[in-house]
Amino acid sequence: MHLIQTMAALSEEVLLVVKKVRQRKQDGTLYLMAERIAWGPEGKDRFTVSHLYADTRCQKISPDGKAKIQLQLVLHTGESTTFHFSNDSSALKDRDAAKELLQQLLPKFKKKANKELEEKNRMLQEDPVLFQLYKDLVVSQVISADEFWANRLGDTNHADPSLSNNKQEVGISGAFLADIRPQTDGCNGLRYNLTADIIESIFRTYPTVKEKYCENVPHNLTEKEFWTRFFQSHYFHRDRINTGTQDIFSECAKQDEQGLKSMVVQGVKNPLVDLLSLEDKTLDEGYGVCTTLPSTSNSNRSVKESSNSAIIKRFNHHSAMVLAAGSRKGETPANQASETSNTDGNSRDSVFFQPPVKKVKLKEAIEYEDLQRENRPKTVALNLKKSDRYAHGPVPLQSQQYTTSQDIINSVNYIQHEMVNYKPNLTQVLSSTTASSAIAALSSGGVLMQAATQQAINQMVPSEVQGELKHLYAAAGELLRHFWSCFPVNTPFMEEKVTKMKSNLERFQMTKLCPFQEKIQRQYLSTNLTGHLEEMLQTAYSKFHIWQTRRMLRKT
Amino acid sequence: MLNIEGLLVHFPYDYIYPEQYSYMLELKRTLDAKGHGVLEMPSGTGKTISLLSLIVAYQKVFPLEVSKLIYCSRTVPEIEKVVEELRKLMEYYSKQTGESNNFLALALSSRKNLCIHPELMHANIVVYSYHYLLDPKIADLVSKELTKKSVVVFDEAHNIDNVCIDSMSVNISRRTLDRCQTNVETLQNTIQKIKETDATKLKMEYRRLVEGLKEANVARETDVYLSNPVLPDEILQEAVPGTIRTAEHFVGFLKRFLEYLKSRLRVHHVVQESTPQFLKDIFDKVCIDRKPLRFCAERLRSLLRTLEIADIADFSAVTLISNFATLVSTYSQGFTIIIEPFEDRTPTIANPVLHFSCMDPSIAIKPVFQRFQSVIITSGTLSPLDIYPRILDFRPVTMASFTMTLARTCLCPLIVGRGNDQVALSSKFETREDFAVIRNYGSLLQEMSAIVPDGIVAFFTSYMYMENIVAAWYEQGILENIQRNKLIFIETPDAAETSMALEKYQEACENGRGAILLSVARGKVSEGIDFVHHFGRAVIMFGVPYVYTQSRILKARLEYLRDQFQIRENDFLTFDAMRHAAQCVGRVIRGKTDYGLMIFADKRYARADKRGKLPRWIQEHISDGSLNLTVDEAVQLSKHFLRQMAQPFRQEDQLGLSLLTLEQLESEEMLKKISQIAHQT
Repeated sequence: MHLIQTMAALSEEVLLVVKKVRQRKQDGTLYLMAERIAWGPEGKDRFTVSHLYADTRCQKISPDGKAKIQLQLVLHTGESTTFHFSNDSSALKDRDAAKELLQQLLPKFKKKANKELEEKNRMLQEDPVLFQLYKDLVVSQVISADEFWANRLGDTNHADPSLSNNKQEVGISGAFLADIRPQTDGCNGLRYNLTADIIESIFRTYPTVKEKYCENVPHNLTEKEFWTRFFQSHYFHRDRINTGTQDIFSECAKQDEQGLKSMVVQGVKNPLVDLLSLEDKTLDEGYGVCTTLPSTSNSNRSVKESSNSAIIKRFNHHSAMVLAAGSRKGETPANQASETSNTDGNSRDSVFFQPPVKKVKLKEAIEYEDLQRENRPKTVALNLKKSDRYAHGPVPLQSQQYTTSQDIINSVNYIQHEMVNYKPNLTQVLSSTTASSAIAALSSGGVLMQAATQQAINQMVPSEVQGELKHLYAAAGELLRHFWSCFPVNTPFMEEKVTKMKSNLERFQMTKLCPFQEKIQRQYLSTNLTGHLEEMLQTAYSKFHIWQTRRMLRKT
Repeated sequence: MLNIEGLLVHFPYDYIYPEQYSYMLELKRTLDAKGHGVLEMPSGTGKTISLLSLIVAYQKVFPLEVSKLIYCSRTVPEIEKVVEELRKLMEYYSKQTGESNNFLALALSSRKNLCIHPELMHANIVVYSYHYLLDPKIADLVSKELTKKSVVVFDEAHNIDNVCIDSMSVNISRRTLDRCQTNVETLQNTIQKIKETDATKLKMEYRRLVEGLKEANVARETDVYLSNPVLPDEILQEAVPGTIRTAEHFVGFLKRFLEYLKSRLRVHHVVQESTPQFLKDIFDKVCIDRKPLRFCAERLRSLLRTLEIADIADFSAVTLISNFATLVSTYSQGFTIIIEPFEDRTPTIANPVLHFSCMDPSIAIKPVFQRFQSVIITSGTLSPLDIYPRILDFRPVTMASFTMTLARTCLCPLIVGRGNDQVALSSKFETREDFAVIRNYGSLLQEMSAIVPDGIVAFFTSYMYMENIVAAWYEQGILENIQRNKLIFIETPDAAETSMALEKYQEACENGRGAILLSVARGKVSEGIDFVHHFGRAVIMFGVPYVYTQSRILKARLEYLRDQFQIRENDFLTFDAMRHAAQCVGRVIRGKTDYGLMIFADKRYARADKRGKLPRWIQEHISDGSLNLTVDEAVQLSKHFLRQMAQPFRQEDQLGLSLLTLEQLESEEMLKKISQIAHQT
């Protein structure tokens, strides 16, 4: 293993060089650099494989004990590249060195790449129109993906910064441990699949495990050893009743137990769920019918029973921890309640002088809201004509300015008021001829009712062609938006872009619009569906032309 | 201001539920007749405020007929709620009449701060727990001077028979006897000391005992006191027998009795005998007569008083033994003695216990029925109504069950009898370990966790059963799948731990994550915690919560019920199981604006003998179509129900149907309708 400081040709930092690495049955050398990983065949001074870390989704390694020692890189595109470490004496060591280094490097790039990729993915998934546009423009190679996203991402970021910044803290799935169900690897072993997310969940839910991790990794244990021990531990399998002394997690279990105990000792804030003070008077010792409840002393419980009760404890604990991890950031409301109750917590001895929490809870408990006349702010009832539709399918929500119920009521009242007080102003009415021509214009067939013919087209054109037309409109609109956004052209970059955009438009016309025109001309000779589209393109072309001639003039 | 058959009642709300009116009507008739009543009305229909409004109004109008209301409830929160409602009513009164309140109400809660105000005797309303009336040891201290012209209300009374039995039963273990031994020695030493310093004290006591317990007798004859079932009338007419009259003799007597009990605990097999058999044996073996035994409790109390012992709690063991002595010699019927050398579960560990079990709840409650002119037994679940007068041995003048009038059907009882694979679901003993059943139960919970919003509460028939099922579900990964939908919290035998789990459960329901609480029928949660609104949108009862039938004490009680009250064993067991099931499922519906699914997961619920024992307000919503569902069918019905319930529900929707204005209440037509709400038996 050598660290080479520079390689003149590339002038980038090389962090690790591993020799005798095979790729596609060819011997060669693997280089790990600051931003990418590369491989070159032996005896040649160029790389045939090179991947940016940012493009890499993850690395996978062959299980221990396999004959071939391999490392695989999986890219975001889904492609993968496998490297086979073939140095007899140090193959494993080489591989692990590469793995460890990658482990440190990948997350740094991952976050950035992932975030963008996720964002793009999300946008495409959420917006079917955008997705179609993407297909029309990028997949059919009218414009490149970068061009497509260039101002989209920027747009969203600028449009709504509050939305992305104020992102709600994501809680933890209650079942994150279920996602690491072990699978048998076929030779008497178990395999656990851990992802960064799961590790994060474990750390957030069980801070003691994180502490252990920080204490031990990598000084005492490798990461892998740590997790292996974790999954073998009594801590993970609470139903197993053995507390091995060398188990580093036995301490975690103890700490958890302690935490649980202190929570229990603290007691509950809501007096109505406090089972300890539920009964007014328990019978004195020795009185009462002896119910055969299983005794809770550990001495006479069977192993199975205590394992069962350990499982139950574990579930309560787990749920409590998950809940706490989810609300750790915004913890204030619960605490405030406890503070207020503590301030006069000494007043417990009288029924007539109760702490406020209790008082509030009692008041809530005896309240019959429907027996009282309502004096809440008036609301507008949701009037569903088809309640089935409401109950069954999700309806895409269109963003719009919502008004409060009170606003709506006010405006309705206002309109009503206006209507009641309406007085016709007879001096300013239309003359009868103007009025009748206005009516004629507004009747069907009239000048202002031309839209009616569109309906005819609607019915004449098959829906498939309509759909195609819509896509064309969307695509053209998108391209034109790009085009027009270049004006005023005041930087060289803009100049370049506007030229490119013009050629994009031409390409669009050639590859998309013309075939469509031919198609409909074959079927519907008379209808000119694409007239408007062409008009728009033409306008763009002439604008470009004007700009170009002006520039020429300026140059000469 | 309502007019209940001529009685003007101040009711502190703008509207009223029809069933509240109907309830007050029945209540008034009961008071008019100066008799007892059994009234069942669903919780969340404002039972407490109806009771309070009517009885307070009655007291104001007829102060000579009814001078006191004694309101008993079971748990501290319940008692506090009553106090809160009472306060609301009193505020309303002073606002309406413009006078300051001259009504005295008193609440006793928690024995730790028990101090008997003299006001107790003058208060117009007393609110406290059952024990203050039903436990003779406390009733004697607190309640014995309460006036005859009182109305006693037992709210949440569905388990009143068990409270009665508990207050009269005694268990004696080796540890009890050891502590008793120490007590007796302390007594002996104290007597010795006093004899040396102040012999006159003991002489005076002796003289008083010769004269007998006449003082008590006078009081009872003039009807000042509530009688004490531990201190029967006959004792009062007699002098304390000579054999235990002097302090030393009495201590000697106690020692002999103690030795006898010790010898009885040295057994290797289970012994069961009646009280006469026990008395015969004790006479044969140690020559202790029935008569001194009967005076034991009273004699000890006198001695402790004479010796001026401050902390009676130290002498709890000897008090227990002497109470036992009095009880065992007073009642030849209604009790059984069972001596078990070890616990059934641990036959290798010797731990002998003498159970002196009361089998007849009417013994403890008899003085209450005899003394007070009206006793009202009421609860949300008292079905079948006729069983309570039988087991408590009294003649009610009214028995009525009220339904909940609903503008929308906000409860949805479903009986799930089969899994999707057609396996019959049941918690019965034979299939208890059957894995197919456990798996199907698991898939029911899992499917429900996916469709029910916020909170789900599930009840199991016993703690052991729950533990085993939870373990099986854990092994099969069912719980993990459930965790994908909701967090899981589980009741444990530790009350503090469970309280915390409960609070976390509520927190998870509150913040929208949703949670499931696994709990146990007959447990503390099932008896005392309400799951209003989103804290319980569905409740699942896994199995039929029969009591553990192998217990000898239970067997003896069943036999007694059969012989004395002609109640068949199975009828009683089913009644008992169904009242607990009803309690469990009733926890989620706490009012008309609330809604919830009630899933009975056991095919046996479909049978008429089970279903028929559910309260009417639940029963009437079980249609033939919901009798023997598979898990899938139940899920479909539940989805439909939940969607409907999620629609807005406004006051206008209820008005005129399940909610009435004063004008609506006064219309002829409505009054006719209301008269059908009460279901008389």
